[in-house]
Amino acid sequence: MAIQVSGITKRFNDFTALDSVDLEVKSGELLALLGPSGSGKTTLLRIMAGLESPDGGSLLLNGEEALGLKPRDRQVGFVFQHYALFRHMTVFDNVAFGLKVRPRGERPGSAEIKRRVTELLELVQLSPFAGRYPAQLSGGQRQRVALARALAIEPKVLLLDEPFGALDAKVRKELRRWLRKLHDDIHITSVFVTHDQEEALELADRVVVMNQGRIEQIGTPAEVYDHPASAFVYEFLGQVNRFDCTVEGGIAHVGGGALAIPTQGGVQGPAVAYVRPHDLGVTPASAGPARISGIHVVGPDARIDIDLAGLSLEAEMDRERLATLGIAAGDRCAIHIDRARVFAR
Amino acid sequence: MPADTSITAPASIPVPPGRSALTEPTWVRALLIGGALLFLALFLLLPLVAVFAEALRRGFGAYWLALTEPDAVAAIELTLIVAAISVPANLLFGVAASWCVAKFDFRGKNLLITLIDLPFSVSPVISGLIYVLLFGMNGLFGSYLRDMGVQIIFAVPGLVLATIFVTFPFVARELIPLMQEQGSDEEEAALVLGASGWQTFWRVTIPNIKWGLLYGVLLCNARAMGEFGAVSVVSGHIRGETNTMPLHVEILYNEYNFVAAFAVASLLAMLALVTLVVKTALEWRFGDELAASRH
Repeated sequence: MAIQVSGITKRFNDFTALDSVDLEVKSGELLALLGPSGSGKTTLLRIMAGLESPDGGSLLLNGEEALGLKPRDRQVGFVFQHYALFRHMTVFDNVAFGLKVRPRGERPGSAEIKRRVTELLELVQLSPFAGRYPAQLSGGQRQRVALARALAIEPKVLLLDEPFGALDAKVRKELRRWLRKLHDDIHITSVFVTHDQEEALELADRVVVMNQGRIEQIGTPAEVYDHPASAFVYEFLGQVNRFDCTVEGGIAHVGGGALAIPTQGGVQGPAVAYVRPHDLGVTPASAGPARISGIHVVGPDARIDIDLAGLSLEAEMDRERLATLGIAAGDRCAIHIDRARVFAR
Repeated sequence: MPADTSITAPASIPVPPGRSALTEPTWVRALLIGGALLFLALFLLLPLVAVFAEALRRGFGAYWLALTEPDAVAAIELTLIVAAISVPANLLFGVAASWCVAKFDFRGKNLLITLIDLPFSVSPVISGLIYVLLFGMNGLFGSYLRDMGVQIIFAVPGLVLATIFVTFPFVARELIPLMQEQGSDEEEAALVLGASGWQTFWRVTIPNIKWGLLYGVLLCNARAMGEFGAVSVVSGHIRGETNTMPLHVEILYNEYNFVAAFAVASLLAMLALVTLVVKTALEWRFGDELAASRH
């Protein structure tokens, strides 16, 4: 089911959570709403579910206006950030809840409910835990129960609020892959909210970057990472070196002429340049303009702190490359940057 | 992250062998525990024993006679009636009030919370007087009520009103923090899953608060049966008609009828004991679920 959001605005007292947001979610895609806290992503998700009503705008679910509909009439599955499992019910009863509360005419028989719940528990690999209470489960298991519960009502859309936020790093990665695979299998239109750029880039078909109640950019993970539309997106997606420069004739001059970088985009005059750490090349040079102020090895990668005429930069490379270069803290070096994105200051 | 096990106590702090650094010396512990036990025995246990000892001083026959004479029976019945009306009423009010406070944001919420606490902060005598001033013969609605032929003060309705007022906070006070802590996530989940408001209330909200609710009702009931001050003002002390058990105890005592007074008092004491036992039994039997509902 496709979702069409247009002109949605939401204020909480004098705080504008959403400022005339337009967005289209295509049928069957997995879309990420990515942004820092307070960017309005969760509010947007809750408006889609009917848990919050906007001050203006329209929301079409499958081409039909849905803002007047109650949550129960929207056929959406919602997975809450802290799961919101019914603590007094077993896993089985949690998953069965959405079927049991249906009006008498639409309610499946108890044998049918049992069959469906069993099937869903198999899908989320929790069959042995049907009789347990939520308090007896790990975070990852609770998350999967929440997912099975949301899927039980056969929703047309699945909405997930920070689905992996409360999990530790390892479980988070596993569950991420598992969710991606699940989506590839059942192809339900899904929207998830996250503040973790890695999660959004790895999992989503398309990423919506939000900031201060507005959408900054919509695109595939590669598009938003390689071609950020704004300075905000550049800074938010991954590590970045940010420094002031002056652009003249397509060349950015940095640190009083210590470095010149070719740029695109026709910006002239004072500007801010963004360079990803892995786009920053380092070569040992005894008379180079920069000095290596520190080297930190993190797992297979190395982070190199560089001082360029008072400007702190960060480069990133794998350890093998570091070993080939044979550089150490305190050495002088030369820097070359192939790609820099500049935005007018 | 590997656990750092290399932290040891610095040599400069001497810790005697066989005793943890956080444990006090034996004599300090004995003194503290002994003091607490002595205090409890003196101020709680001894009076309780005294009540039963006094009640049974003339033997079980006299005890039984004191409890079965008509005025005592009327007092017991009246107490049960008043509790039977005011406890369910406060159960309803309490759930409604805590639902409002915990699940919604509205103007004047803090005022409401303060108002709920009012009966705790006001002397029970004042609580009774309020009703006399409102519904008494010379009260605000007094003449109107007289014309209508309705008697509130010095009758059962007055007793019930005063009792409801005094015991109002018990259920609400127990539920508000519990419901606030639980938030509305589960209710929202139920709504999205297709439950109606009514289904959500009965299937999600009530099961989550049932133990807190039971606690509140137990305490509310104990107070409703034991209330003296407010009830005393509105009762009029008509024997066999508007005397509840606590009032009956006072009358008997003032008449130097100690055995009968303590016999009725022993019933109230037993009520307190039963309340405590049920409360403890609940905690013991359903401790896990209680902890889970507060989780």
